[in-house]
Amino acid sequence: MKGLLIKDLKLMKNQRNFFLLIVGVAVMMAISLENSTLVIGYLPFTCSLFTLSSISYDEYENGSAFLFSMPFSRKAYAVEKYSFGLLIAIASLGLATGITAMAGAFQQSGSITETIQIALMTLPAILLALALMIPFQFKFGGEKGRIAALGTVGLILIVYRQIKQLAEAWHLNLTALFEQFSALGYPAFLAAALLFSTLLLVLSCRISISILERKEF
Amino acid sequence: MLQIDHLRKNYKAFSLDCSLRLLPGRVTGLIGQNGAGKTTTFKAILGLIQPDGGTIRIFGKDHRQFHAQDRQTLGVVLSDSGFSGYLTIQDLLPILKEFYSDFDEAFFLEQLQRFHLPLNKKIKEFSTGMKAKLNVIAATAHRAKLLILDEPTAGLDVVARDQLLDLLREYMAADEARSILISSHISSDLESLCDDLYMIHQGRIIFHEDTDVLLSDYALLKVSEAQYCKLDRRYILRQKKEHFGYCCLTNQKQYYLENYPALAIEKGTVDEVILMMIRGDVL
Repeated sequence: MKGLLIKDLKLMKNQRNFFLLIVGVAVMMAISLENSTLVIGYLPFTCSLFTLSSISYDEYENGSAFLFSMPFSRKAYAVEKYSFGLLIAIASLGLATGITAMAGAFQQSGSITETIQIALMTLPAILLALALMIPFQFKFGGEKGRIAALGTVGLILIVYRQIKQLAEAWHLNLTALFEQFSALGYPAFLAAALLFSTLLLVLSCRISISILERKEF
Repeated sequence: MLQIDHLRKNYKAFSLDCSLRLLPGRVTGLIGQNGAGKTTTFKAILGLIQPDGGTIRIFGKDHRQFHAQDRQTLGVVLSDSGFSGYLTIQDLLPILKEFYSDFDEAFFLEQLQRFHLPLNKKIKEFSTGMKAKLNVIAATAHRAKLLILDEPTAGLDVVARDQLLDLLREYMAADEARSILISSHISSDLESLCDDLYMIHQGRIIFHEDTDVLLSDYALLKVSEAQYCKLDRRYILRQKKEHFGYCCLTNQKQYYLENYPALAIEKGTVDEVILMMIRGDVL
């Protein structure tokens, strides 16, 4: 798995202009926007998408066939992609937090604690995005994968709406349930969100392994 | 080394049923037209596609038991696939070192210099020939016991092809237990490199012979209608109607040389044997 991780880091290094541009935009946002915490959403999400790009780079000109003739298992490949995604997410989240905190200090607005709290709450959202998008990328490839992922988000929203309607018909108040949940306080809510997103990420990884093990190149 | 028995793979318009054997110390060629089943066979050996039937044994191990780490012993070149074009050779060095415990960095760098390959240029900017050279060098750089080479010399000029074939000869000379399974469209490469040849046509092996035997015992008999009528056809493998009469492929050249001195007998080459085996009629 280490060899694969080195490969992805090398691919990332070769796209350094792209990353410098993103960081530059993030710095501009932090300086110019009143709410500089938007950087915490923008930078990690954009950088994490590189995990999907790295899969596209592996598939470029049918490169996967040769890649999978090398001495690593398909399971190792899938696990490496999730680890790589997690690594980028955490690193870029740290960087975004730093940029936001510095911008806040210069502008004498916002608190570091609040910035860190927002950053920590962003992590489960990134994990959920990775959990949703990576299996689609493996199954359908770049373009079709993104369309399928967007379709699934739409499907999830429809299912949520149906559940809400059903709950209302049974006189269950879902909004009150969520309010009760958030009343647990920030640490408990964060822990629950991290636990939920990690479980989904593990499930997603297992699905990806299964997709890859059946795939022909 | 490698034993394939009735490897089957079915697609909508194509079905493969292939059997072949590769012995230690041998270079075996797999020849056939585009779409004959060469790449499908290679991919099945490498576990890139799931066979529908048959068995593949690599170093005596069933291919389903041939795990990721066992692939350290293989060197691979695929005709339609290679290293990511977004990387440079410099980027590949730590990756290959990590993947292959026996990766010989000094040998790899020496060969790159020999073939004038740049370390810091993105592979997607390489010419077809440069990519082919890199793939073969990488396949031979980790002391693999078996090379699986699908069209390794495609896109190379004569000089570069000769250099690569020399590299493969050096690879074989370094350890007599090593083997190569190679496919190529360039018959002269196979004639000079391979110990034996398998010919695949429409997914079936239709011919297997030692290269020496093919070059010494196979011949084309160019006969008129009258000569054809008197010809002993017991040793004719294929025949084809021509404007002058018949062209016949035999694997008993000496027999016809001795018994039919008046016949026009041409030495068999790989290309001619391929053409006759595919386009000729069975008696």
